[in-house]
Amino acid sequence: MKQSKDPFEAALEEQEESPPDSPIGQDELDSQTQNQTPTGHHTLVDDDDYDEIGTNTNNPSHPSSNSTPMLLTPSVNANVASAAAASKNKEYDDDEEEENVDVELGKFPSSADPAKMAKMQAILSQFTEDQMSRYESFRRSALQKSNMRRLLVSITGSQKISLPMTIVVCGIAKMYVGELVETARMVMTERKESGPIRPCHIREAYRRLKLEGKVPKKSVQRLFH
Amino acid sequence: MSNPSTGTSSKSKVGSSQPSETSFKRKRGVFQKDLQHMMYGFGDDPNPLPETVSLVEDIVVEYVTDLAHKAQDIGSKRGKLSVEDFLYLIRKDLPKLNRSTELLSMQEELKQARKAFEVDEEKLGTTE
Repeated sequence: MKQSKDPFEAALEEQEESPPDSPIGQDELDSQTQNQTPTGHHTLVDDDDYDEIGTNTNNPSHPSSNSTPMLLTPSVNANVASAAAASKNKEYDDDEEEENVDVELGKFPSSADPAKMAKMQAILSQFTEDQMSRYESFRRSALQKSNMRRLLVSITGSQKISLPMTIVVCGIAKMYVGELVETARMVMTERKESGPIRPCHIREAYRRLKLEGKVPKKSVQRLFH
Repeated sequence: MSNPSTGTSSKSKVGSSQPSETSFKRKRGVFQKDLQHMMYGFGDDPNPLPETVSLVEDIVVEYVTDLAHKAQDIGSKRGKLSVEDFLYLIRKDLPKLNRSTELLSMQEELKQARKAFEVDEEKLGTTE
């Protein structure tokens, strides 16, 4: 997949030209129909993202689009994300509710701002295939709650890890990954390198985040520091 | 503290200087599959390098560990660990805080929706 259409890089390079092959309005349907093959681990939940997108385009190919109410509450993503990617400056719903995906009501109160949704749809309709696939990965990906719960139990030693706590920690960790990856990308552009991100970039990104204070210091007191 | 000059081996643990925190068995690649998709979503290659994914996983696990330890310290004063402890810890980081509160409210709404749906189901079942 070509990297040049990456919204992050596009934002960084001050996108002077729009992608040559980004049809207006047509792309949304195409990318949605092609997204019918889910990545495997998020089966029903991923459709809720496109439920909101598809409400106006009336995409009939979604199996569960009629039954997912999914919240259209905007969500604030990582600050770096919203700053770096122009397409992500809208708040949006996420798909963390994979535990109860079998049936949902259609008449769900949508607290989304219609203006923001319209803006988001306008942006999404102009995505290239590559951008759409990346955005889809961004929305659908999540750390598994079961793994996170296991990790938390082993850290705290207590079995009483509530579900909201797991969800919150998964969300926080995902945003943290986002900060890391985006900072690593910035490091790469500074060094004028390309290709996949290498560990040295991640380490440099981690160092910078630490300088900014976004990484919590070690909780254990250190003697004779 | 994490050692930035740790070898490029993917087995290196970031921040493993405190053995008490790593007393649990750290399984390799717990989040690897999810992390690959996530990293692609955030701007990496469609196929991130495995050592990069391992490193990111280590960093994330360390982050969660730190967070959980600090939350436990706070929560121990109150008695037990609760979500508010985590929220207190990230209070300075506004995007994360907003996202967390949103996730929590969404989860509440979903619970209500599920309950309402089950009630409807029962009604339908009895009326038929």
